Amino acid sequence: MTQTGSSSGRREPLAVKGVSFARLSLYGFLLLAAISWGFILLGGDSGLAEFGSGHTWGNASKFLGQLAGADFNTEPAYLRPARWWETGKMAYDTLAMSVLAIGFAGGLVLLTFLPGARNVGNGGLGGAPSRKWSALYHIVRLTFALTRAVPELVWALLIVFVLSPGILAGAVALGLHNYGVLGKLSAEVVENLDPAPARALRGAGASNLQMLLYGIIPQALPYFLTYLLYRWEVVIRTTVVVGFVSAGGLGRELRLSLSFFHYTDVAQIIIWYLILVIGVDLTAVWLRRLARFE
Amino acid sequence: MGETALAGPLPDNPPTSRRSFGNRGLLSLVLAVAAIWSLASVDWTGPLLHTGGGSALWDFLLALFSPEVSPDFLALALTAAWQTLAFAVAGITLAVLLGFPLGVIASGATVSASGGGSWPVPVRLLLAGMRSIHELVWAVLFVAAFGLSSLTAILAIALPYAGILGRIYADLFNDVPEEPLRALRASGASPLKVFLYGRLPMALPDVVGYTFYRFECAIRAAAIMSFIGIRGLGFEIQLSLQDLLFGQVWTLMLLLVALVLLVDRWSTGVRRSLSA
Repeated sequence: MTQTGSSSGRREPLAVKGVSFARLSLYGFLLLAAISWGFILLGGDSGLAEFGSGHTWGNASKFLGQLAGADFNTEPAYLRPARWWETGKMAYDTLAMSVLAIGFAGGLVLLTFLPGARNVGNGGLGGAPSRKWSALYHIVRLTFALTRAVPELVWALLIVFVLSPGILAGAVALGLHNYGVLGKLSAEVVENLDPAPARALRGAGASNLQMLLYGIIPQALPYFLTYLLYRWEVVIRTTVVVGFVSAGGLGRELRLSLSFFHYTDVAQIIIWYLILVIGVDLTAVWLRRLARFE
Repeated sequence: MGETALAGPLPDNPPTSRRSFGNRGLLSLVLAVAAIWSLASVDWTGPLLHTGGGSALWDFLLALFSPEVSPDFLALALTAAWQTLAFAVAGITLAVLLGFPLGVIASGATVSASGGGSWPVPVRLLLAGMRSIHELVWAVLFVAAFGLSSLTAILAIALPYAGILGRIYADLFNDVPEEPLRALRASGASPLKVFLYGRLPMALPDVVGYTFYRFECAIRAAAIMSFIGIRGLGFEIQLSLQDLLFGQVWTLMLLLVALVLLVDRWSTGVRRSLSA
């Protein structure tokens, strides 16, 4: 983590007698893959036998039929306008949760990305190297690594101990993970910046705030917004899953409908989910175009 | 799902410094409205914190300084880490095996000069469909359809990941410089040869870098397969949380961090070696 992108120094890659590190890694990965597949297929309930049996595939096609409403005991959900409206409201909550989450992550990153960039502390942008900033660099990068490595869903499990279940709890869980992802990316943007404007400003006697406003933000902001919007596309897909535990939006309903075998409800929720995903993807494309100032 | 080469280089077109004020104003407006709307949709009047939520948070944070390190628990945690890693590796290998050929087709590299067939479009739609649905949603649907087994979980990881890998591979194959390809074509190379000796080698560092990034994501995906009952780090975290053993939770989370950082470092080394 402390060795990323262009900051990663000039160390020569490990090489053994002319075999490149890349080739060694390939062999290493193939070995790891063979062991992993062996472990899973030879383990107790690999499911290999089940996938080979006609019974399983019969069940699967029955399940597909039930999603479409082939089971005529009850009126399928897609024929009830009131039901569309109810799940629509949950989709609306889900969308709000995703926007809140990405706003939360983005705001937190804006407050902390600066010390996360190595060239801020070591004088790469002009000015004297500062030990305090370098110490802060390691702390911030470790925070990014920790929040990023833990999946949203695990954060959600923890958050529901503290916050009441709802949109806010889900958004905080999603925001924490995306804070780590966005923080790392934003810090790397600053590390890869053209240092000339910042150095010139420093040479002209600009204050730290002026350097930030005129030397760093103008270059970095379009990248930051682009990444933020890409992450929003990821977040909308994950919001449903976080709803499993934080009890907000479509996720909870999906889980309940599955456990009550209300399969046409499941189908309806998936349709709303796809509408959200496609809608967010298209909106993000549009906003990204604006953010690139093209 | 991540849609861009997040682990890769910065976007190609550097943003121009001459800004169109209209776009900037519109974007600021949209972002401000979105922020206000999302904040307004939270019910701020109800109790936001659980009773005792604050002390639970404090206990959890303090436990970071006393993670559970008894040999018994460490053995259990390492076993869980291995299970998670094995599922992640299995998931990503299947995803690459599915995603690579689909990505090649989607890039249009196999379309002959006479324009034979419009396969790239349906394949791109298929990839979009696969990656629209989160791996855990695929997982709960697959459990309902096929029953719970290891392969169900691996399939649930591999399907959306193949969708993302295929799309990114296609983009990377298309983004290589044209001139070497033209030279190959001029010397009479077939589309397959142009791909093998032109597009693939030029795109390889980015392809490998993005695959590693997805491998890192697959570790998280494998961990949360605990929700359908697959063992691993997520499973143990859930068990420890139920007993409020925050020290154990931290040990498990730090192992997850270690796994992710290890893959991150491995990826950096391989990319540096490839571009050297």
